[in-house]
Amino acid sequence: MRVAVTGTPGTGKTTATEILDTDLDVVHLNEAIREKGLYERVDEERDSVVVDLDAASEWIGDRDDIVIDSHLAHHLDADRVVVLRCRPDVLEERLIERGEGEASAAENAESEALDVILSEAVDAHGAESVYEIEATERTPGDVALEIQSVVDGEREPSAGEVSYIDYL
Amino acid sequence: MAEDGKWGVAHVHASFNNTIMTVTDLTGAETIAKSSGGAVVKQNRDEASPYAAMQMAEQIAEEVLAAGIDGVHVRVRGPGGNLQKSPGPGAQATIRAMARAGLEIGRIEDVTPIPHDGSRAPKGKGGF
Ligand SMILES: Nc1ncnc2c1ncn2[C@@H]1O[C@H](COP(=O)(O)OP(=O)(O)O)[C@@H](O)[C@H]1O
Ligand SMILES: [Mg+2]
Repeated sequence: MRVAVTGTPGTGKTTATEILDTDLDVVHLNEAIREKGLYERVDEERDSVVVDLDAASEWIGDRDDIVIDSHLAHHLDADRVVVLRCRPDVLEERLIERGEGEASAAENAESEALDVILSEAVDAHGAESVYEIEATERTPGDVALEIQSVVDGEREPSAGEVSYIDYL
Repeated sequence: MAEDGKWGVAHVHASFNNTIMTVTDLTGAETIAKSSGGAVVKQNRDEASPYAAMQMAEQIAEEVLAAGIDGVHVRVRGPGGNLQKSPGPGAQATIRAMARAGLEIGRIEDVTPIPHDGSRAPKGKGGF
C-alpha cells in the first residue's frame, strides 16, 4: 500500500504524518528533493526548486508500504491519495507564522481557494482514489487518525466537499 | 468591433466545482461587473455541467456591453476541476457564453497560482 498525503503547503501534512501510528514508512519527500538534488532548475521568483518528477519517482523506486508526505506526492504513483484542506485565510496566517514571505503565503492561499491540488489529484488518480480531509479546525492528532482510517481502508473516497472560493 | 472599441479584462476564477467572474477596466482598478458565482455541478467527472457558469457569464456580458465595453481579455485562474481540457469546463463555458453574447474575446491568459514550499511541480504537470 502506497499512500500519498498531499495538500497545499501549510495544510498540516508534515505535522500529521510525523505522529501517524502506522507500520508504513513515512517519507518526507520535500527534504529528499533538496538533499538528493531531485530537481531540474530553480524558480527564483518563488525561491523554489522545480522538481524532476522522474528523478523523484526513481528515488522512491518500488518501495511499497510507504506514506509520502509532500504537496507533490499526488504527482507520483500511489494507491490512495489523501488531500488535506485548510481554509485559505488560516493557511496564509500559518505560513506567515512559519516564516514564509507574504507573496508566497498569498499564492499558496490562492491555490487552496481554487482547489488546485485537489483538481490535480483527481485528474491524476481518479475520484475513486482521492480522500479529501478538511483539517482547518482539527487537531494534528485528529487529522492523523483520519489519515490512519484511509490507510486502513475504513474511509470512503471524497472530493470537492469543501468550497473556499469565497476567500478569493 | 469598432476600432475605437473599449476593452476590459474578464478575471475568471475556476475552482473544482465553482466559477466566479469579475470584469474590470484594463488597469484592473475599476470593477465593471461582478458575479456571485456559478456552481459547476458534476454528476460525474466526464460530464461536468458548466450550465450555471454559462448563465452567469451571459448576464455579466450583458452588463458589460451596456457599460460600453466591446471586448475583453480573459485571465483564467484555477484548473476548474478538469485539467485535461484547458481551460477547464467552467472557464470554457464562460468564455463561449461571453462570445455568444457579442463580446469580442482578446488574449486568453492562464495565471493559475502554483503551490510551492521550497519546491514546486513543473508547469504543465499541474496548472494547464
Ligand atoms: N491541525 C493543525 N492545527 C493548527 N495548526 C497546525 C495544524 N497542523 C499544522 N499546523 C501548523 O501549521 C503550520 C504548517 O504545518 P505543516 O505540518 O508544516 O504543513 P505542511 O507540511 O502541509 O506544509 C505549522 O506551523 C504547524 O505547526
Ligand atoms: Mg511539510
